[in-house]
This record gives sequence, structure tokens and C-alpha cells, in this order.
Amino acid sequence: MSRQRRDPRAERGIRTVESRARPRLDVARRESPAASGRLRRDPWREWAASLVDETYRKRYDRSQRQMSREDAARFLAARSDIEATAISPGQPALHVVEEPAFLIFAVIEATGGRLSRFDRQVFGAARLLADADAGGGAVVAITTGEIDGLGEAGADRMLALPSANGGQARAAALRHAVETLLPRHVIFAEDGDSADLARRLSVALGDDLMSGVEHLTARQAVRPIRNGAREIGLAPPRLMTIGEDRVKPYAAAPCEARPIDASDFEAGADPAILSSEIIPGDPASLALSETDFVVSAGNGVSDIAAFRELAAAMKGTPGASRVVCDAGLMPRSAQVGASGTVLAADCYFALGISGAPQHLQGIAGCEHVIAVNTDLHAAMIERAGLAIVQDAQLVMPALLALLRERGA
Amino acid sequence: MTAAAFLPWLIVAMVVVAAVQIARRVILWRSGRPARVDWLAGLKALPRRYLVDVHHVVDRDRSASRMHVPTAGGLVLACALLVVGLVPAIAASRLYFGLVALAFLVMTAGVVLEVRRRYPRPLPRLSLGQWQKLPIPLGVFALGGFVTAFLASLGDPLPAVSILTLLLTTAAGLGLAGMAGHGPMRHALAGAAHLAAHPRPERFGGGRSTELRPIDLDAPGTGKLGAETPADFAWNRLLAFDACVQCGRCEAACPAFAAGQPLSPKHLIVDLAAAAGGGYAQPYAGNAYPNARPVGGAAGLHAPIVSPEGLVHPDTLWSCTTCRACVEECPMMIEHVDAIVDLRRFQTLERGAVPLKAEEPLANFRGADEPNGRALAERTDFAADLRLKVMKDGATAEILLWLGGAAFDLRGQRTLRALILALNAAGVEFAVLGEEERDCGDLARRLGDEATFQRLAKANVATLSQYRFSRILTADPHALHVLRNEYPAFGGSFDVVHHTAFLAEMVAAGRLAPAALTGKAVTYHDPCYLGRYNGEIEAPRALIDALGLERREMARSGRRSMCCGGGGGAPVTDIPGDTRIPDIRMGQASDTGARIVAVACPQCTAMLEGVTGERPEVRDVAELLWEAVQAGGRNEAAAVKAGEPA
Amino acid sequence: MRTLVLLSDARHPVSGRPHLSRLETQAIGLAASLDPAARGLHAGSGEDAVRAGLGHGLAGLDVIETTGEADPLPALVGFLADALGGADAPELILAGRRGEGGFETGLVPYLVAERLGLPIVADAVAIRAGEMPGTLVVDQAMAKGARRRVTVRLPAVVTVHPLSPLPRPFAYGPMRRGRIRRHSPAAEQADLPAVAKMAGHGTVAGRAEDTGGTTVGPVDVVPADERPHRARPKLMRTSGTAAGGANLHVGPDPTEAARLILDYLEANGIRRYGKAPE
Repeated sequence: MSRQRRDPRAERGIRTVESRARPRLDVARRESPAASGRLRRDPWREWAASLVDETYRKRYDRSQRQMSREDAARFLAARSDIEATAISPGQPALHVVEEPAFLIFAVIEATGGRLSRFDRQVFGAARLLADADAGGGAVVAITTGEIDGLGEAGADRMLALPSANGGQARAAALRHAVETLLPRHVIFAEDGDSADLARRLSVALGDDLMSGVEHLTARQAVRPIRNGAREIGLAPPRLMTIGEDRVKPYAAAPCEARPIDASDFEAGADPAILSSEIIPGDPASLALSETDFVVSAGNGVSDIAAFRELAAAMKGTPGASRVVCDAGLMPRSAQVGASGTVLAADCYFALGISGAPQHLQGIAGCEHVIAVNTDLHAAMIERAGLAIVQDAQLVMPALLALLRERGA
Repeated sequence: MTAAAFLPWLIVAMVVVAAVQIARRVILWRSGRPARVDWLAGLKALPRRYLVDVHHVVDRDRSASRMHVPTAGGLVLACALLVVGLVPAIAASRLYFGLVALAFLVMTAGVVLEVRRRYPRPLPRLSLGQWQKLPIPLGVFALGGFVTAFLASLGDPLPAVSILTLLLTTAAGLGLAGMAGHGPMRHALAGAAHLAAHPRPERFGGGRSTELRPIDLDAPGTGKLGAETPADFAWNRLLAFDACVQCGRCEAACPAFAAGQPLSPKHLIVDLAAAAGGGYAQPYAGNAYPNARPVGGAAGLHAPIVSPEGLVHPDTLWSCTTCRACVEECPMMIEHVDAIVDLRRFQTLERGAVPLKAEEPLANFRGADEPNGRALAERTDFAADLRLKVMKDGATAEILLWLGGAAFDLRGQRTLRALILALNAAGVEFAVLGEEERDCGDLARRLGDEATFQRLAKANVATLSQYRFSRILTADPHALHVLRNEYPAFGGSFDVVHHTAFLAEMVAAGRLAPAALTGKAVTYHDPCYLGRYNGEIEAPRALIDALGLERREMARSGRRSMCCGGGGGAPVTDIPGDTRIPDIRMGQASDTGARIVAVACPQCTAMLEGVTGERPEVRDVAELLWEAVQAGGRNEAAAVKAGEPA
Repeated sequence: MRTLVLLSDARHPVSGRPHLSRLETQAIGLAASLDPAARGLHAGSGEDAVRAGLGHGLAGLDVIETTGEADPLPALVGFLADALGGADAPELILAGRRGEGGFETGLVPYLVAERLGLPIVADAVAIRAGEMPGTLVVDQAMAKGARRRVTVRLPAVVTVHPLSPLPRPFAYGPMRRGRIRRHSPAAEQADLPAVAKMAGHGTVAGRAEDTGGTTVGPVDVVPADERPHRARPKLMRTSGTAAGGANLHVGPDPTEAARLILDYLEANGIRRYGKAPE
């Protein structure tokens, strides 16, 4: 085996920082492919990047480890197998599939016109199958209406099926689409209407359904059976539902989400469904375990009445830390944490909560955490996606005022 | 004929009235479920049970025994003498009436003492109402009887006065007899019968009987399990409820009552007695259930007792920690805990009406034989580095170590590690059951889930009988109690020893050499299931003394210790009160000034460690011992080192 | 409303012993609230798992004794078709959103519904009789606490969502007294028109083993594909779409803080919460 040779000129080129008129050389920069050709991590620089605030006590934020756009561009450039197109900073290239070799349907819910985390994971799974091996597949988003961000989520095409009354009618329209466009895979979320639709389609097509897939690669889909004691792994079948938080969402270059003409796919009505109406959830009366957005009070909140008013105005379900519940200011049912309720909410807004370990266990599943606390070094501040070091008692009235202003 | 000559006939009339009154209750008792009672032995033992066992309990409150001995003694003596007076020859004797007068005088003295307990201000635990007024008829009867008999002994010098006092005595005497069915005097007849027909005769004469009795789950037909209505209790249990004297000692000892949970054992027993009779004849005049939940008050021999419409609210039932403090204190030997468990059994087995948080452990028991739903195979995980021998792998050992639920709990594991290390240091040959050890079922049984308990008991007995060992060692008094006292009903009789007793043995035999731990005063908290249920209060204290620690006793200790609030499923039923039981107990511990509370039970450890704020440190006796043994080892090593140059 | 609950042969996740599926327990709770005489239906080789249903409020249990490896679907469909044609025809058939202990595809209720020609409604959290006779009002669980209230014609199949009310707690006495009727698998399924229409669907039927835990059926699942389950970690939820780096603000003006918070919420779409979907 011959030794790889260093190319000092290329190394020098990479370390050049073109900031001013005069090029500067950054010797610490080591993006040049190492001799092995593998990318190397630079822990020192990672730490430096996560340094948030250099006060008397250094504070690192290791939770936000996303690369800056330039870093990402360089990273992708180094991996030529992923992306041939050069990435210009600020304008990621569009991933275009002009003549798809095959289609993958990604059936998404997008309640309220927004993609949920789970929807993105469905796209992730579809993308994975579309780009596998030779690639060339196109992901078709199956929706019921206009939705933002389909391209970024990984959809090459978009098929908006007419909204149908009842699952049976929706399944009929989808079946028609499947029989017309002949996708290689149809992927659903194992949740709510998608799970229902998947089964109706499976029965209508007389085709297998692999439900609740836990592990997905291009070659194999694995799902648990027999109460989680056993599992089966198969080549990915045509119909699959994936489990929540099992497949990574797509994060590379955006796709074009070109609409497909949907006028052929009629939706009828299900004669067995006599009526159907949607009753929106009332955040104030929702159980903590079911709600999506919790506004929570801790020791730093002394005005509970104002807090309740704020929670109502923000359309959040009120929660509290153990201290507040122990003091009898909030009912025990509002307690968040290991000994109270473990949340499944998307967003957690912590007012004056320092974040005891038991409390943080209760919010481990929350995607977005906003913390307002006076202590910069509180665990909750470190956990939060948006951290504000300020007195919660002052922020609450300001928020209420701003909500009124924006509401008007 | 003197007025006093009518006194014997008054007694006859009183007996007749009382008999009619009590007969109505006898009919009620007979509608209870059958129970096997050895009447002959019971009646033979009655005087001894009354004069020794009952007196022993009564005498804990000196003012009560000083009051009761002359009152009851004088009454019984006077009545007995007067019945003899039915023989005309005797009634003619002045000396005889002198004796009768003396008996009445003794009774009068007793009544005076009773009056001093109740007036001007009664003890807070006593019931008022008829009980508060009882000294009046008693006093009139005693004093009237005395004056009448005394005048007769003098030859009846004042016939007008004699007749007046005889009338007063008659009125009071018949009034007392009329109280034999519903009033306070019921305790005399029901109490005597209860002592003779007691459901746990083993308790008398220094014995102990604390195990819950199994019920037949496969009884043919559709018979209900547990007690729903008064008629579902055994007849001698109904009798026991009628024996209550409402002295309130149970209430004063009850941890749930002290914590403001809606339970008063006295109120409950009086409720149960009233429920059998179809409701209260007189309003209950004792302390109400703390934070009493409103109830409908419907009652009857065949009406459900525990329901928001009945006499007893479910929260009352689920507040009990089964600590047996009430039973320990009861001078009438009433078995409160048995009654509560019988009522719970119906709620759990027939209605599934357990408190919300108790459903989960019971479901886990059914699914995984473990209240927290942990895999049994994980029980020994905490001691993976200690290389425990497992019986299934063919180990034979002198001692079988029963790990219990503490093995799943971080705090409990620390205690168990200390125990295991100490056993190793003492060179004890022991093994564990490993994944074959199911939960002993204590929690299920106290929550009334007898079906689950019996299944676990049978499975554990079957497992244990496969192996050869001489003793079972456990650090959990609840497991100890269940294995030692409750498994024999399922065919498993084992010699079970608690770790405090076993370690004390090891120290006494010189197999462990603890160094003296100095500096910190220790107070020992007796676990209910060790002290009260099993009478083991000496060994842990001996062990603490052997460690050279200054031992301070709390006001309530030994067999009269106060519960930590962790028994009987109370932590899972979680009935809200004004404060928490462990907070009260920890307060008592702090009052001794001790820096360490020594415990001997994983439940107590968990409950007492849950107390927030400034408090003494909670250490298991095994942990203290292991610390001392380690210190001893170091001292020895140091001594050897120091000795080397010489 | 005569109600019947489909029960599967679930295994306890810790001990692996037969136990009643939690979701089916909730289905029993809903059934018992509609019909005090609700019955359970199970096709499989034993009743160890489903017997507990009697302790949760079922008045009785019908067990179709199929051999261990058989597909329970024909047995269920046969039994139900008989029952639907009988005098006390069930009006409502409840099931968990998927049975446990078998291959857990969640297809059985759908296949039963299709073969019997019944409508199916998924994810019920509340059920009550409709105002018109012969109708049923079902509240379906949807994301973010919303409910879809669907009125459906009876008879119907309804699957139950985990957010439906807590089931009646277990009681041993009623379980002991409960009656279990045992049946042998119906042999005359071929006569059923609904099934006849579905001829050629053998492959799907073969997959529908939810209600019988020990069944192995799917054509494409050869025993070699089955192996012990390996626990795989779920994705962490913490990273999300939050923009990294500059999201810590030390001591901002309260008004500025409020603006930051609302902007963050709007950027992540959280303030749309609670509005009815358009």
C-alpha cells in the first residue's frame, strides 16, 4: 500500500481565510481531508464554538451543535459522493429529479397546514428509499391541501388529493392514485389518521402492511412483534407505517415539490359516515400528558393569577414544578416531572424553573424548550432552545401586553 | 320489711331488662357469618383474660385502671352479693347489708374517680354524649345503693330516707340496665362475651397473633369475597364492635388520625357497630374523622358500609397504614386491622374500587409478580459485583437471603449491600433465590387483593420448598412477617430471621467485630411489622448499643412505636391529610436531639428520607454496623502496623 | 346497545406472561359503559390472557378454540357473521387499535369490518348512542387534543385509542363468576356472502393474526425472519429545528424578552395551537 502524499499547497488553500483584502492563514483549521481520507473532528474548535458567554464562569452550550452554513458547505464539498453541485453560501442548491426511476409515496397529515416532526420523519424514510443504491427515485408527498416546506422536508413531487369525508373515501382516492402511479413504496406514520388510512389501503389493495417499522434501511425494514419480545426484518415491502422518532428527517438540499395534477383522483363520500365535525382541543382543560404546549411556573413565579392569565392567553396548558404544587398554588395534577406528569408536548415554556433533574426528566420528550430564569447557570437555561436570563415576574406582564397588542 | 330488702329484686329486674336489651344485639350478632369458637376454653380463660390481659392494657393509663377497678369491681360485687340476698335468711342479716354497703362504697369511690376524668374537662380522646353522662346514673346507683344498704345495716333508722334512696337506686339501676343494648353499659356484657369468643384467642396469655387470615377464594356458589355489609362479618367480629368503650386510645395512637387523614379507629368501630343496628341510636359524640368526607349515612345489616352513601367513606378505609397501633392500645382487644382488611377485600376483590394510584401496583402484581413492574431477573443486578450465590444454580446454603423489593430501589440497595458485605465479613454461607424470588405479596394483601396474595404465596412456598436451607434472612420486616406468620397457612413454615437479629447474633458470637462509632446520638425507629407485629424490639437496640452509640428513645418506641406511614399500602393509596405521617415521626425523632435515625425497614427508610428540610440522617442498622465493622478492620490493621516495629 | 369486544392474546411486556392488553381493557371500559351485558370475543388456543376481561366489566366471554398456529380471522368472521344474523346480533364491535401478542399489524378489525361489510371508525376516545336510532357517535382522538365527532350507522367496528377513559379497575370476584362460552371454529364460512366477495384475499387473511398470539401466518414471514427483539434507541427530540448558537439572551429588557419568546413560538408554529384547523 502506497502512502498518501500530502499536498501542502492544497492544505494552505484550505486554511486561507478570505476575509479582507489580504488573505489570512488560519493554521488551526484542519478541514483538509486527513491522510486516511476520513474527516476528522476537532474537539477544541467544537468547544470553542459552543462557548456561549465568557463571564467569570464559562458556560458551554453543547446542545446546539449545528454547523454554520459555511461549515456545512465545506463539509458537503468534502463529501463529493453526496452532492455534486457546488453549494454557494446562503443559497443551497435544489435537488431535482427530472425523470424519476420510481416513485415513493409519503402520506402526511400536516395538521393545520404545518409539517409535524413525525411528518418530516416520514419524508426521511421516503427519501432514504428513494436515494438508495442508484437513487433516482422521487418522493411524492400525498397531502390534502397546500402545505409549506414540503421541498425542504424532501418532497420531489406533491400530490394533493381532494379532501374526503371519512377514511374510507380517502382510502379509495389513495388506492386510485397507487394503482395509477404505481409507487414502489407507500409510507405512512403509525399514528392517527395515517395509521387508519394505511390499513384501509392494505385491505383495499389486498397487500401486506408492515406496520410500526422501528428500523429502516434500503435493504431491510424491522418491526417488533409479539409484544416487543421478537422482531421481524424484511426487505421493505410496498406498504409501511413507521414508528415515531425512528427514522431521521431529511436534512440535505431542498427538493422542488413539484405539484402533480390531481384532477383524476376523485374522492367520494363514505355512506356509513353520517356526519363528521372537528372539535378543537381546549388547552386549559387538556391533560398535561396530551397537550402540545405547556406553560409552566416554578419558584420564580409568585403571581399565580397572572401566570394563569398568561397561560390562557398563550393557549397553553398550565403546568408547574413540584415546589409550586407542594405549596398548594397549583393542583397536584399540574406537576411536571418524574413524580408528576411526563410530557409528550412539542413545546415547553418554563417560567422561573431552575430545572431539577426530576423535572428535566419530565420534559425530556419536548422538542422546543423556552426558559425564563434569573440564574444563567440554571439547568433549564442550558436545556432551553430559547433561554432568557430575566425575572419571570417581569417577563409575564410584558408578554401579556405584547399578546394583547398583537391580538388586536 | 326494710327498703333494702327490695335491692335483690332490683338486681333481678335489672338482669331481666339487660337481658332483653342485649338479646336484641344477640339476634344481630347471630346474623353474622359463622365462626368457629371454642366456647369452653374461652369461658374457662375468661377471668384470666379479663383480669390479666385486659387489665394490663387498661393499666397503661393509670387513671383509667384506678377508676375502672373499683367501679366495675364494686358493681359486680354488689350485684353478686345482692343476688345471694334472694335467700330470705341472708337478707335478714345486718352484717350482710354492711357488706353490700361496702361494695357500693367501693363503687362510689370509682365513680368519683371517673367523674374527675371527665369533669370539668374530659380527656380529648374520650367520647361525650351518653358516655359523658354515664357517671350520673352510676353515681346515683352506687350512692343510693350504699345509703340504702348502709341504713339497713343499721336497722333502718330512717325508713323514709331508705325508701327515697331505694327509689333513686331503682331508677338509676334500671336506667343502667336499659343501656345494655345501645348505651355505654353494652360494653360490659358484649366485652365479656367478646373476651370469651375472641377471634384470636392466641393473643392472650402473652401470645401473639398478628397474621391476616386467608379467605376461601374458590368458595362454591357466588358468595362474595370480603365484607360489604355488617352481615358479611363473622358473628364474633360484630360482637367485638359492640364491645367498644370509646376510650379513644386507638385514636390517640393512630398515625393517620394524627396526620389529619379521615380515619379514627374508634369512630370506625363505632360506625361498624351502628351499621349493624341500622344506624345510630344516639348521635356519635367522639371526635369526627379529621377532614371528614361527607357520607350519606345509610345503614343496615344488609346495607353496604363503605360508600359515599353509607356510613364510612372509602377514604377512611384507605387511610389505614395497618400499623396495628390501635389494636395494641385497645383495652377491649378489638381487632381493627382485621375489620379494615375485610372491608378492603370486598372493595378490591368484588368492586375493584381501589384508589387510583393503587391500581398500578396491583396490575403489576398480576402481570409481573412485582409491584413496580420490574423484571424479577433484575433483582440481583445491584449486586452483580458481589457474586451472590443463587439457589437455582445448585447452591446449598445455611441461610437464604430474601432480598425483597428493596433490591429494586437505589436506597434499599445501599442497605442490602451493607448487609451482604457484613455477611461476607462474618463468613456466613448464604444464597439468594435470584429471579425465582417473587414479591412476598404484602402490599397486595394489605390492599385487599387476597387473590394476588394467595397466588404469590403459593408460588413462593413452592419455590422455597424445593431448596434446603435452615433459615431465611431478610432486611424487610414486611417480608419477614409474611414469610414467618402468613405463609404457614399456605403450607410453608419457615424459620425467618430479621437482619437486625441475625447481625446481633453475629456480633454476640464474635464473628463480626465492630469498632465503637462515637460522636453521634442515635434514636431507633421501630418498624411496626418488626416491633408490634413480631415483638422484636431488643435485637436492633442491642446492636446499636454494641456499636457504642448513644441511644436515645423517642416518646413512642418499642411495641408502642409510631408508624412511618409506609405500611398497608398507604403510600400508594395516598389519602390527603393535613400533614404527612413521616413528617410527624421525623419530628419526634428530632425532638430526641439525635443526629441519626436508625431504621430497620426499607419502607421506613423511604418514608423518613422523604421528609424535607433539616432533619436527622436516616441510616439502616445494617449500614451503621457495616461502617463500624469497616472501622474495626482499619483499627486492627493500624494496630498490626503499630505493633510491627516492636 | 349490544356490544362485543375483540380480545387478543397479549403478553406482559416484563414477564412475558399472558395478560389482557391495556388498550383492550379500555375498550372493555367503553363497552361496559354502553352495554352492561357486553361480551368479549377471542379466537386462540387459550383464555389465560383474556379471562381478566371479565374482571374489568365484561359480562361474558366467547372463546373460539383454534389450534395454536391457525389464523384467527376466519374463526372470528365466521362467529361474527353467525352472531350478526342471529337474534341478539351485536351492534357494535370494539377492538384495540391493534391486537397484541401476535404480529400486531392492526389489520384484524379492518379485515373483520370489510368481510362483514361493516363501516370501521378508528381511534375512539368516547362513544355514545346517536340521536337517530341505529347510529353511533364516536369521538376520535386527533393531534393536539382535538376530537373528530363522527356519526356512523350501526352495526359498526370501532377501534379504541389509548387516550380513551381509564378502564374499570380489575376485580377478582366478577372474573371468578364470569361465564366463558367455548366454541369450535365455524366450518360454514364459505356460505357467507361477505366472505365470498372477498375470495382471493387469502394473502391478507394470512396476515391477520392479531387476535391470536401464537399464530404464525403471513406468507412472506418465514420463521427464519423472526428473531429476538433488539431495543433500538429512539431519535433524541432535543435538537429539533431550533437555530443554534445565539439563542441565549442575558438580561434583555422584559418587552424585548416577550418579543423574542413570541417570535420563537411563531417561528416554530406553536401559537397556532388551539385554533381549529381551517
